[in-house]
Amino acid sequence: MAFQFEPGVVVETFPMLLRGLKLTVVITIGGLFFGFILGSVAGLMKISRSLFLRKLAGIYIETIRGTPMLVQAMFLYYGVPMASGVRIPPIVAGIIVIAVNSGAYIAEIVRGAIQSIDPGQMEAGRSIGLTRSQTMRYIIWPQAFRRMIPPLGNQFIISLKDTSLLMVIGVGELLRTGQEIVAVNFRAFEVYMAVGIVYLVMTLGIAKALRALEQHLRVLPEK
Amino acid sequence: MIRIENLHKSFGSLEVIKGIDLHVRPGEVVCIIGPSGSGKSTVLRCINRLEQPTSGRIVVDGKDITDPKTNMNLVRAEATMVFQQFNLFPHMTVLHNVTLGPVKVRGLSKAEAEKRGMELLAKVGLAEKAHNYPDQLSGGQKQRVAIARALALQPKVILFDEPTSALDPELVGEVLEVMKQLAREGMTMVVVTHEMGFAKEVADRVIFIDGGRIQEEGPPEEFFSNPKNPRLRDFLGKVIAH
Repeated sequence: MAFQFEPGVVVETFPMLLRGLKLTVVITIGGLFFGFILGSVAGLMKISRSLFLRKLAGIYIETIRGTPMLVQAMFLYYGVPMASGVRIPPIVAGIIVIAVNSGAYIAEIVRGAIQSIDPGQMEAGRSIGLTRSQTMRYIIWPQAFRRMIPPLGNQFIISLKDTSLLMVIGVGELLRTGQEIVAVNFRAFEVYMAVGIVYLVMTLGIAKALRALEQHLRVLPEK
Repeated sequence: MIRIENLHKSFGSLEVIKGIDLHVRPGEVVCIIGPSGSGKSTVLRCINRLEQPTSGRIVVDGKDITDPKTNMNLVRAEATMVFQQFNLFPHMTVLHNVTLGPVKVRGLSKAEAEKRGMELLAKVGLAEKAHNYPDQLSGGQKQRVAIARALALQPKVILFDEPTSALDPELVGEVLEVMKQLAREGMTMVVVTHEMGFAKEVADRVIFIDGGRIQEEGPPEEFFSNPKNPRLRDFLGKVIAH
């Protein structure tokens, strides 16, 4: 029996994916929200004057970047409860994995952006009597943040796509939902195409939104 | 106002300042000249502790800044600095550059700070640029904003670190004009400069630093017309020839 592509199935699949899409969006937004906080803290620790904080952030970043996210997810969801005796709901585990994973990459983005700001800016801030942290907050961070936007956009897209890996810990996200549909109708070609299209629309949306934000901030000139 | 006693500063094994004593009185304008690499900027940067002195004592406005207990943030607001590269905050308007310190450090209300900020911008001739960003200004205008930003803190002394060295020659005059006006109004100023004309005209005292030591100091008339130190004679010969 020859394969016959049925575009109608692709179209029919979209509404069925809605439930999974919601979860993907929730986990991506939740994960990146905490990931950005975690990454900012780790990035600042990486340039702190305290050797201890620098080392601590270094260990975190290297460990996470040096291990596959799939392993991190399975370790957290299946491994950690064995030691702690506490089971974590899959969605919560998913958000934690995305946060901890993206945080390590965002830390490097934050560190790089802050270090790219002319040291004269810190000196000027200190010279008008601001403390180190005030200078960071009012002078360095706002300038560094603009430089973070393009690499952050990349990381957001990567993290969104990485949520698909969470199907292995039973999160009923987009890809998992697609898989369940295939199990019923056997239309793997059409269903996974529809799944791919949904991811593509979202990643293009993120790219566009961040470009708009960049444009908006660029209205205020930077040297 | 500023008393420096036996200041030493090393970067690693390189000793840049080899024992400097300097006393600046209130209202005095002291110009520091010397070849590049002589350590003159480093002296200035030790006064507000952007550089940590290796040894020696520096007292600014009665506060020993070499004492770790001293609140350096307040000292820095009293002895603020104008930089060669201006170092304006590019993401803030000109007015915001000027009001940030008064609001965050001096605790002024935004309205008060803006009122005074506008007065100071008018004083340096840039009131109409208040809502522009630093990028939209020429180098000379940027440096005048930087001076207004320093004045906004109502400091006891302003440290100028080669304020005209990064400027196109035709823009130097407007910055020196503002500095002369400050000097006339009695502002205490320590100026590291290559502008011999300015030093001659405005300084109460000129100091020549070379090799990390003060080689000669004196009132400008005597300093420039009758230099005793051979290194100073050599230096002045090179500078004035241009």
